Amino acid sequence: MLRRSIRTQITKRVLVLSTTVAVLLGATLVLLIIAVTGQRDAARIAFASQEALTLTSRLQTSLFAIENDLRDYVRKPTRPLEPVTNRLAAFPVQQRALAAQLSDDRGQRERVREIGAMIKSYAIRANALIIVARTRPKVARNQLFYTDRRDLIAALSASLRNLASRERTIVRRREDDAEAQSAAAIAFGIGGLGLVLIVVVAGTLYLRRAVVRPVVRVARATGRIAAGDLDTRVPADRADEIGELARGFNTMADSLQRGRSELERSNTELQRSNAELEQFASVTSHDLQAPLTTISMYAELLERRHGSETGEGHELIDGIRGATQQARVLIRDLLEYSRAGRGELAVEALHADVVLKQALEALAGAIETAGARVRVGPLPVVLADRTSLCRIFQNLVGNAVKFTRDDPQVSIEAEPDGAMWRFSIRDNGIGMQPEYTQHIFEPFRRLHGEEDYPGTGIGLAVCERIVEQHGGRIWVSSSPGEGSVFSFTMPAAEVRDDELAAAVQTPVGAGS
Amino acid sequence: MRRSVTGLALCLALVLASCGGQQDPAPPEQGPVRIGTKNFTESVILGELYRQALEAKGLKVELQSRVGSTELTNAALRDGSLDLYPEYIGVLLSEVDNIRTRPASPRAAYLLAKSKEESRDFTLLKPARLSNENALAVTRSFARRERVRSIKDLKRLRPAPRLGALPEFANRFEGLVGLDARYGLQLSLKPVEAGRQYAQLDRGRIDVAGVFTTDPQLAGGRYTLLHDPEGVFATQNVVPLVSKKALKAHGPRLSATLDSVSALLTNPAMQALNRKVEIEKRSPEQVAGEFLSDQGLTGPASG
Repeated sequence: MLRRSIRTQITKRVLVLSTTVAVLLGATLVLLIIAVTGQRDAARIAFASQEALTLTSRLQTSLFAIENDLRDYVRKPTRPLEPVTNRLAAFPVQQRALAAQLSDDRGQRERVREIGAMIKSYAIRANALIIVARTRPKVARNQLFYTDRRDLIAALSASLRNLASRERTIVRRREDDAEAQSAAAIAFGIGGLGLVLIVVVAGTLYLRRAVVRPVVRVARATGRIAAGDLDTRVPADRADEIGELARGFNTMADSLQRGRSELERSNTELQRSNAELEQFASVTSHDLQAPLTTISMYAELLERRHGSETGEGHELIDGIRGATQQARVLIRDLLEYSRAGRGELAVEALHADVVLKQALEALAGAIETAGARVRVGPLPVVLADRTSLCRIFQNLVGNAVKFTRDDPQVSIEAEPDGAMWRFSIRDNGIGMQPEYTQHIFEPFRRLHGEEDYPGTGIGLAVCERIVEQHGGRIWVSSSPGEGSVFSFTMPAAEVRDDELAAAVQTPVGAGS
Repeated sequence: MRRSVTGLALCLALVLASCGGQQDPAPPEQGPVRIGTKNFTESVILGELYRQALEAKGLKVELQSRVGSTELTNAALRDGSLDLYPEYIGVLLSEVDNIRTRPASPRAAYLLAKSKEESRDFTLLKPARLSNENALAVTRSFARRERVRSIKDLKRLRPAPRLGALPEFANRFEGLVGLDARYGLQLSLKPVEAGRQYAQLDRGRIDVAGVFTTDPQLAGGRYTLLHDPEGVFATQNVVPLVSKKALKAHGPRLSATLDSVSALLTNPAMQALNRKVEIEKRSPEQVAGEFLSDQGLTGPASG
């Protein structure tokens, strides 16, 4: 439970932060909507009020005009009556329009209702007067004495003025209210946006401090680890997800460090024991040579002084001499093997065909004896130690000749293989079982008896060491009776094409 | 926002109202009883009496006070702008029906006027005893000085007496027309508003005033009413002149209520009411209300 709560701390904070921002943004939006609505209401109120005021003044003008027209008509019934009747007909419409445009206020509704009643009263009186004027014009004319309709119009006018001034007051107040509401909403909205900004900035700073920086620190530490500095650690004192990450990182680094130190220790151990072994081999073979020489010398002395006496002792002495010779060869090969791959290499750009030629010259006797045919393809320039490369050619070509009974044919070719050249020495010899192709490079490994094919079995092991020292590798593909192909790789030297061409044109080859 | 809430409430109210209407069928909704009055105090008080009595019986009333003279008020009624107004039988006969001969009795006058009205889709309800007649008045001092007792006496006065009366007096039989026809009296008229004649008389602006016999100013003997031997001025019983359409629409409640008001109206009662308004300057509405409740016509309505 505790682990879980620790692990989600930053998540919770980020959640709280986003919720806060969302709520603030929502509130701000609502406020802005209120502001816009307020402005729109204010505009609508102002528009309706303007309409109402216009209607009021139009009604007022109309009332004064109708009374004058009416009186004119009564005085002189030949005058047109239409202006009066039209206006009378228009009054209810005007009053309804006014009522519709007035602001929603009980007092105003009551006032406009009263105005409507007064207009109706006026209309009844005006109509009655018109009727009388038609039938009894003199009676109607006498009625002009009364001021009741004029009083009514004066009252109406006052009511309309009152209505208009109330309307202006109400509308101003409503507009002010709407504006104030709008302004407040805008102020709150801006405040809200400011708050959002602050929260976002604070959140960013928090994330930078709490998440980004520690993560970057871990990333840099990872880079240092990758570069090999396993001592790198990050502070892991926090109780949140970043703390978890840091602790995980440190644990990983500890484990890596432990692994490497173990590796180094065992490597050192190995190197030491290897060196000891080689030292042992070198010393042993060197030290063994002295008693062998002594044995061989005593055997000579024995033959020289007592050769005539011994009779069949000759054969015994020959046996001692042969065994001693064999032991010496073994020790020499052992020494060679132990030295191979240990000395300094004098690496240079070599024309492989030149080196091969040198090797073939050294093998000239064996080739001649076996009647082997050696075919050499175009060979490149490689980076190698001259002596070492010569030894490899010598061993491999020598083996090819040695392990071919009838009509030996050896071909040497090279093909590019990435940054290396791959050399192939192909023969038509006895070949070997595929399962031996792995073991054949082990020191003193022999597939045949000494009497069938002479040799100590050290040659291929030495070749492997040399090739590996040059950064290449060596292998064989073969099957019994089909011959063998020994391949090894050597680093390519950058060489101009014409040089290569010149090298290729150099005739190399021996044997008939 | 508030507007939309109000609108919603209104819609709801309408829906509820329509539901209620469906569940409980009521008689078809009628408009208010539209009552008019003429443009003098007594008529205004009568209109208030009618209104308040009818409202006490649960009828809706729309009162148009001071529509104008008889001619205008009558035109408004015939036009359909009004349902009824308090009328005086004499002026109805002489000015509306142009009947210049006097019926034998107030009862005969009423029946004649009623038959005339019935012929054109109107009718008269029961008349009141109250009869507010037209008359000519002079100050008592003028009567004494000029030795004037009858309208006839005015003829010999030189220069001709100055007459002040309502403007419609000029065109009426119960006015300059009748005075000329019956007495050969040719007077010029100074139009005055109802009630203002007395001040004009007092100030000597006019010598003779056309008045109503129920005018409160006449009490106290300050003024002398001139005799009318030729009968220019007829009896003027007050009666509601009603359109038959309105009677039908509002049912017997309307006529019964107005009849009960008419039954209360006598000359002294009316004169007292006129006094309260004309002299004491109280509102016709208040005065009428007091009268009706004193007479037990309004108050806790029992139906």
